[in-house]
Parts: sequence; C-alpha cells; structure tokens
Amino acid sequence: MAKNLIKRQGLILVLVAAVLLEVTSLVQFLFVRKGLLQEAEGRAKSEMTVTRLKIENTSLTVEKDTKGMAWAYSDRDKDVAGFMDLVRVMMDNNPIIVNGFIAFREGFFPSEGKWYEPVLSRIDGQYNLHNVGAADHDYFNTDWYKVAAETGEGYWSEPYFDKDGVKSMVVTYSVPVHSSNGEFIGVFGVDVELSWLQKMIIDVQPYKNAYSTLVSREGQMLACPAETLAVSDVLRYVTPIESTGWQMSVVIPEDEIFANARKVSMFVLLLQIAGLILLILIIQRLARQQKKMEAISISREKIEEELKIARGIQMSMLPKIFPPYPDRKDIDIYASIVPAKEVGGDLYDFYLRDNKLFFCIGDVSGKGVPASLVMAVTRSLFRTVSAHENSPARIVTAMNESMSDMNESSMFVTFFCGVLDMDSGHLRYCNAGHNAPVLLNSSKNLLPVIPNIPLGIMSGMVFTEQEADLRYDDAIFLYTDGLTEAENAVHELFGEKRMLDALTGLKGSRKHMEEMQKAVATFVGDAPQSDDLTMLIIHYLNERQSLETDRHLLIHNDIQQIPQLAEFIETIAAEKKLDHSLSLSLNLALEEAVTNVIMYAYPEGTDGLVDIEAVIREKSLSFVITDSGCHFDPTAKPDADITLGAEDRPVGGLGIYLVKNIMDTVSYERKDGKNILSMTKNL
Amino acid sequence: MEILINTQDSETTAKLIGRLDTPASLEAAATLEPLQEKADGTIILDCKELTYISSSGLRIFLTLRKAAAAKGGKVIVRSICPDIRNVFMMTGFLNLFQIED
Repeated sequence: MAKNLIKRQGLILVLVAAVLLEVTSLVQFLFVRKGLLQEAEGRAKSEMTVTRLKIENTSLTVEKDTKGMAWAYSDRDKDVAGFMDLVRVMMDNNPIIVNGFIAFREGFFPSEGKWYEPVLSRIDGQYNLHNVGAADHDYFNTDWYKVAAETGEGYWSEPYFDKDGVKSMVVTYSVPVHSSNGEFIGVFGVDVELSWLQKMIIDVQPYKNAYSTLVSREGQMLACPAETLAVSDVLRYVTPIESTGWQMSVVIPEDEIFANARKVSMFVLLLQIAGLILLILIIQRLARQQKKMEAISISREKIEEELKIARGIQMSMLPKIFPPYPDRKDIDIYASIVPAKEVGGDLYDFYLRDNKLFFCIGDVSGKGVPASLVMAVTRSLFRTVSAHENSPARIVTAMNESMSDMNESSMFVTFFCGVLDMDSGHLRYCNAGHNAPVLLNSSKNLLPVIPNIPLGIMSGMVFTEQEADLRYDDAIFLYTDGLTEAENAVHELFGEKRMLDALTGLKGSRKHMEEMQKAVATFVGDAPQSDDLTMLIIHYLNERQSLETDRHLLIHNDIQQIPQLAEFIETIAAEKKLDHSLSLSLNLALEEAVTNVIMYAYPEGTDGLVDIEAVIREKSLSFVITDSGCHFDPTAKPDADITLGAEDRPVGGLGIYLVKNIMDTVSYERKDGKNILSMTKNL
Repeated sequence: MEILINTQDSETTAKLIGRLDTPASLEAAATLEPLQEKADGTIILDCKELTYISSSGLRIFLTLRKAAAAKGGKVIVRSICPDIRNVFMMTGFLNLFQIED
C-alpha cells in the first residue's frame, strides 16, 4: 500500500524532473543554436568580405589596366605592333592575364579583311602574337564585343574554356577602344585565367567541411572546391562582387555549426538520463526500505501479540483473584503487578497449607522475556519446595541450590519468603537480597531483615531466618524496587519515605493498594515506567488469635493424627517448663478427650476437624476442644468403677475417667452446633 | 511402638517399646491378640521401655487379664515406670495385675 504510494509519487517526481530538465535543455539549446548561427554568419561574412575585397582588388586592377591599354591605343592609329608591345608589358605585370587582344571594327583595317583581331597569348611564359579574326571566329557577335561596343562600358564575360590559348577556363574583360577623336575603332580585351580565383575560394573555409563557391552573373561556376561533401542540411551565405557582377557563397553544413552544441547537449542528455536513473534507483530503494519497515512492523506486531500471550500465561501463574479466601475472616490479601515491559521479572505468590500462609515476593534481575522465564522457574520452585517445608530459611536455601545449579545466564532473584502461622500470628521469614517489607501495626516500620544475598548467585549459601509476631489487624506490605525506584520526569525516585507516607492508617489491603498506586501514579506523572512494579499486602485479622503464650492445633478426625498431640504438648511443656510426668499426664488427658471426639462425635466415614486450643496462664493450663460433630457430652457418662475385679470391669469408659482424674475441671457445652469441651489443670 | 514376643514353655514375654497411644494401640492389639491363646500360662508384659500408655493401651492389658482370668493363667506387668504406675493407680489397674519390678 505504502510501497505503491511511494512508487507512484516517485514516478510523478521522475516525470516532472524529466520534463523540467528537457524543457531547460531545449531552451538552452535554442539559445545556443541562435548564438552559433550568428557566429557562423559572422565568420562566413568576414571571410567572404576578405576574399571579396581581394577579388575586387584584382578585378579592378585588371579593369584599370585594360582601360589603360584601351586609352593607350587611341593615340596609336594603326600601330598594332607597338600596341602589342605595350600589351606585353601589361601582361608581364599581370600574371593572371593570359591573353591580350584587340578586335577591330569591320573596315578599320581594310587590308586585313572583315575580321582583324591580333592576340598576344602567353603560354608557359612564352608570348605568341597571332591574328584570330576569321570567318569562323566572328567576334562581332560575341558578348564581350557587342556589349563593350554598344554600351561603351567595360564588360566581364561569362567564363568559357579557352581552347585556342591556355586551354583552361577564362573570363574576358573587354572595353571599347576609341580614337583620339572619339571614333569607335574596336574592342580591347584581356582573358583572365580563373585558377587564382580557385585558390582564393578554396581558402575560404570557416568550418572544416564548409566551402565556398563563386558564380558568374548568369550562374556559371567560376570557382569551387574540387569536391564537396554531399550534405543536405546546409546554411548558405551569399555576397555579391559588384565590379564583376559575380556572386560568392559560403556553404556550411549545419552539423558543422552545431557539432559542439550537439555534443554538449548529448552529454547533458546523458547526464540527465543518468540522474533520472539514479533518482529511480533511489525511489526503488526507498520503496524497498519502506517494504522492509512494513515487514519489521508486522513482525514487531507479531512479537507484541506473543508477548501479550506470554503475559497472560505469566499472570495466570500468580494468584489474581481478590479476596483470595472470601470465606476466611482472619486474612485479607491484595496484590498488584504491573510489568514495565509486556512480560516482567517480578513475582509474588501465596497459599495456605496447614493453616499457615506461605507467601513470597521476588524480583528477577533484568526485564523482558529472559526475566519472565526465570520468574516462572522461581515461582514453580517456591511452590515445589514449600509444599513439604515449613521453614522459610530452608525453602530459600533449597531454591538457591536449584537456581545456582542451573543458572548459566547469571540472572539472579531478590526474594523474600514468609510463613505466617494463622493461629498465632507468628511470622517466620527469610530474606534473599530483597527490599525490607513494611510492618504495619500501630506504627509503621520496615521489618528488620538480614539482607543475605539474592537467589541464584552461588550455591552453598546460608540464609538466616528471622521471626516476628503479628497481632490482630497488623499487616505486612511487600514490594519490589519498582516502587521505591519509580522515577518521575526529572528522574527523582519515589523512595521509602513517600512509600511509608502513603501507608496511612489501617484501611484494609485493597484500600492500601489503591492509595499506593494512586500515590505512585501522581508522583511518576507522564514518565514511562522504568521497572516492574509489584506489591503484596497481607492483613492479619484473626480475632481469636491465641495470645502470646497460647497454642493452637487443628487436626482431622483421624486417629492417625493423634501423635500430633504429643508434639503439641511437648511444645507447651517446653515453654512452661513443665515436668515430664505432668506433661505425660496432660498428654494423656488431651489424647483421651480428643480420641473421644474422633470416635464418637463424627459419624464413621465423615471428615471433620478437631480444634484444640491451649490457653496457657501463669497458674493454669486449659484446653478447649471444639468440633462440629454430633452432640456428644463425654462428661455425662457415669464414672468408671475402678474397684471392680478384672472379670467385671468393662473394657471401655476409662478415657473420660482419666481426663477427669488428671484435670482439675472439665466442662462441656454445646454451642452454635459445636461440641466444646474445656478442661483446666491448675499448675 | 515396637513389641517383641518371646515364648518359653508356658511363659510368654511381650516386650513393649515406645509409646502406646491410641493409634499405636490399634496395631498393638492385633499383635498381642495371639497371646490370649496362651492365657492359660503366664504372660509377662515387659514395660521397661514403655514410656506412655493411653486408655486404649490399658484396654489391651485388661483384655489379656480377662483372658487369663477365664483360662486360669496370669498376667504379670513388669518394670513399669513411675508415670505409668501412676496411670495404673488412677485406673485401679494396680489391683488387677501382678506388678513386678
């Protein structure tokens, strides 16, 4: 489409350029032609003028000498011999005159007959006087005689071949001769050889192939080059030679005149064609580049499309539905991830296992597709490793081992991993080079973290675990450096202070997130997002949170989970520094109570939970055992009679008897569809 | 929970090792059931390494005791630790069994 446009516009451009160039060339050529014509005319005329003057000069000399001789004869009467001597002298001085003759009128020399014409001829330098007047040479009818005699003026004859004398082309100049008393006595004439004209005319050659001609009054050729080029387009300049009535012409072939101009215009034309070809090539190149650009933009669109898909896949790996646990009142989580490029290297994750919240946030070095791949690997590792590991430090260590082993691209991940015990609010966490999260309680402070080093740098690293306790309504705000290092147009960083300022009050995770997003957006303005921005906020809302020293255990109605009670009691005993016997007794009481629930509260084959809360006081220790099973009051049973003999003793009923014996108070209540058995041991 | 059973003539000794809590008792009941056949002789329950017993465990003891009573044999509980002795006392078991050190 665009290619066609460029080609069409290019074609128009080429055409316009061609027309412009041709028009200017034509105008230029016309001017040059005019100038060349003027020059040719000038050169032709000037050369002709020179030649004309030479010819005229020579012809005038001939005329003057001839007239002088005629005049000289007027006093001589009939002394022809003496006259002929004078003629000889004249001919000596005029090498072009080959014959000198006088033709007398009829009857002037009666002794000589009707015709008397003595002629002095010079052939090869030898003079010869003879009479040519005869019946076969009736000069009275010749032009040279008649015109001179009748007009009384000098007359230049047409050229003719002198067959009697020099045997070459000659012209005759004749003048009338009168006696001293004015009587016409004849005509004196000279024959002028034309070879000198020939020489002169050949020299007139203003251009190499130009030539000139000389014609007589009546158009007979007087002189011309031996051969001329047969050219049709010629320019002819003519100048008359007045004294003789001849006409001189210069003929110049047009080609000759315009040869240079044609050469120049041909050269210009070639240049123009070359220029136009160059232009076409440039346009084609542009069109090709345009096409290439289109191809690039198409492939870029494709890549962007694929990046969008990749982003979709990446996003689907992270928990994106908020609130994530709508039926739990004790936890409120919200997260946000905004990659700077289509796919990002940030990650967060969280899930609940054994009533513990496992969560993490991380930032892969670099951006784009490579970072996103490492991100996916990191997230998978987190899930895999934490599936059977409760200690954040051990999770982080295991992840680091895996990532260091396979990391050949030297990418690393800053990572923060936490495990929040939902019952107690006890938080264990381990940091791997990530930003310290914010702990939001009555005040707001960065959670104290040991930096450690990011994941994937080196195997065998030791990651230190830390602990904190969350109370009801406390929150942890986790983020990547895309938040603190968000830049505005003048390259200022958002920074920790602005972040902490935006976290005012306790408003719920979603509200906090929105306010933080708004604060960043306001700060950044129109500046482009330079890094992935990820935030995770975890709001702990367990109203029934066991107090600091309280413990909580939740098990299924499965006898096989009974051993957990022993661990539970051990923990409490260690904390309260109870003696071994007491702890064994407490273990026994708890086991009997819980076993009763498992055995009798839930119908066989149904799955139910048994919630055990240990309320630990300075002087007492209580267990509250809650289940959602059928109504079951173990205290209602009559006490076992321990005085009976072996044969009479029933095998059951000892459990609750032991409980009552070990504990100081045991009470049962049914409340909200739940069995609640409370029992206290005074310490 | 580990139970080692050793029979010599009419005297069968079962050595109980570890904690006899409810789930352990389910296994132990099955393991010790054959001893009821030998209740006409002497069954010695060696509790030297028994660290804990729940009512389910006591029930096994009582079952054996009942079998012995029916078949004319006897059950001797040997080397119980003070904590278990305390449980025996609470439940009147001290009177039901012959306790040896």
